[in-house]
Amino acid sequence: MQNQPKNNSGGTPLLIIGAVFLIAIIGGWWLYSSSKTPPKPATNTGNSNNGTNAPTQKDIWERASLGAQPPHVLGSPNSAVTVEEFADFQCPTCASVQPLMKQITSAYGGRIKFIFRNYPLIQVHDKAYDAAVAAEAAGMQGKFWDMQNLLFTNQRTWVASANHRQQFADYAEQLGLNVEKFQTDMLGIPAKSRVDADLQRARSLQVRSTPTVYINGVEIPFSQVTVEGLSQYIDSELQKANAGKPAQGGATEPKAGESK
Amino acid sequence: MSASEELIEKTGGGFLSKLPILAAAVALIGLADSVYLTVKHFTGEKVPCSIVSGCEQVLTSEYAEIFGIPTAAFGALAYFAAFSLAVMTLYGDRRMWTLFGVQTVIMLLFTIWLFYLQAFVIGAFCQFCLLSAVTTLVLFLIFIGSKFFSGR
Repeated sequence: MQNQPKNNSGGTPLLIIGAVFLIAIIGGWWLYSSSKTPPKPATNTGNSNNGTNAPTQKDIWERASLGAQPPHVLGSPNSAVTVEEFADFQCPTCASVQPLMKQITSAYGGRIKFIFRNYPLIQVHDKAYDAAVAAEAAGMQGKFWDMQNLLFTNQRTWVASANHRQQFADYAEQLGLNVEKFQTDMLGIPAKSRVDADLQRARSLQVRSTPTVYINGVEIPFSQVTVEGLSQYIDSELQKANAGKPAQGGATEPKAGESK
Repeated sequence: MSASEELIEKTGGGFLSKLPILAAAVALIGLADSVYLTVKHFTGEKVPCSIVSGCEQVLTSEYAEIFGIPTAAFGALAYFAAFSLAVMTLYGDRRMWTLFGVQTVIMLLFTIWLFYLQAFVIGAFCQFCLLSAVTTLVLFLIFIGSKFFSGR
């Protein structure tokens, strides 16, 4: 008798438990299906043909603190379309967009100018600043992009490592760098001041999160940071560059984008 | 004798009879939380990192899955079990309260491990994981409280 529920309430606990079970399943399914809605199609509100909003955004971008000079550039430095990414090496989302950024840079090649900016979120990511410095130190031996890629692809390893600086030195060795110079450069002012300059640029642009991608000064919403989304923005900017800028009349100078 | 009268008789009456109700309610919060985390795991939504909200460092870590099953799904099961045991206690089956105690101890150990991972291995916290840690701790304290007061 002790161990059995009372007759008059025998079904009730099971009913309650069953109901909660059903609610949990249905609720979970509802959450699942509602968050599976496809992202909004690309809006070209950022284009600077004649809106008053877009040119200001581009102005801000052009007037912002310059960042590390010269920046790390892929593609053609003279291209009319600049794609600028602000990223944090310790940010998992940045690591996950790395393959698609690579796809973009290889697909467009010399037709775009791709700039990578360090924006280590030092307040929340304890190793992000060191990683950015490591990439810059590798850059001082001409291997910035290789290190940048290694840091993203091995993110989990060095983030979990008790001695991440040793990991960075191992990556430097893998890339055939002079490890001693790499380690000295990591401690030196030049690499750090490049990271700091990029940080300053990110702050003056009020970049809120990483990764943030700008295309010709227009901040691309994160939902559009996909191969298709970015291609759409780049294509429309390329088209505009080819057609010249009607808003400015015929006074546009010929662009130097074709020859390097 | 109604179920609640029986419970009062078995637990010594007073506010103690309210403890399983409280436990069931807290377990429901934990259940909702872990169902949310499980769903989030499957939809794989990527969130940009920011200083204010952090990012999905914990939920994308290698500890987000155990044997290929999302860690949060284990949480959902555990909270569902805790809820069921509390409800059955409420309806007079006192053995279930002992099982509830065993359940909360297991959950607490698991929670301590997850907290350790966040603090010392991943180096980041996840808000909804911390909420789960709190609900588990409360469930455990409710059980300890029931033993402590009925022991007098």
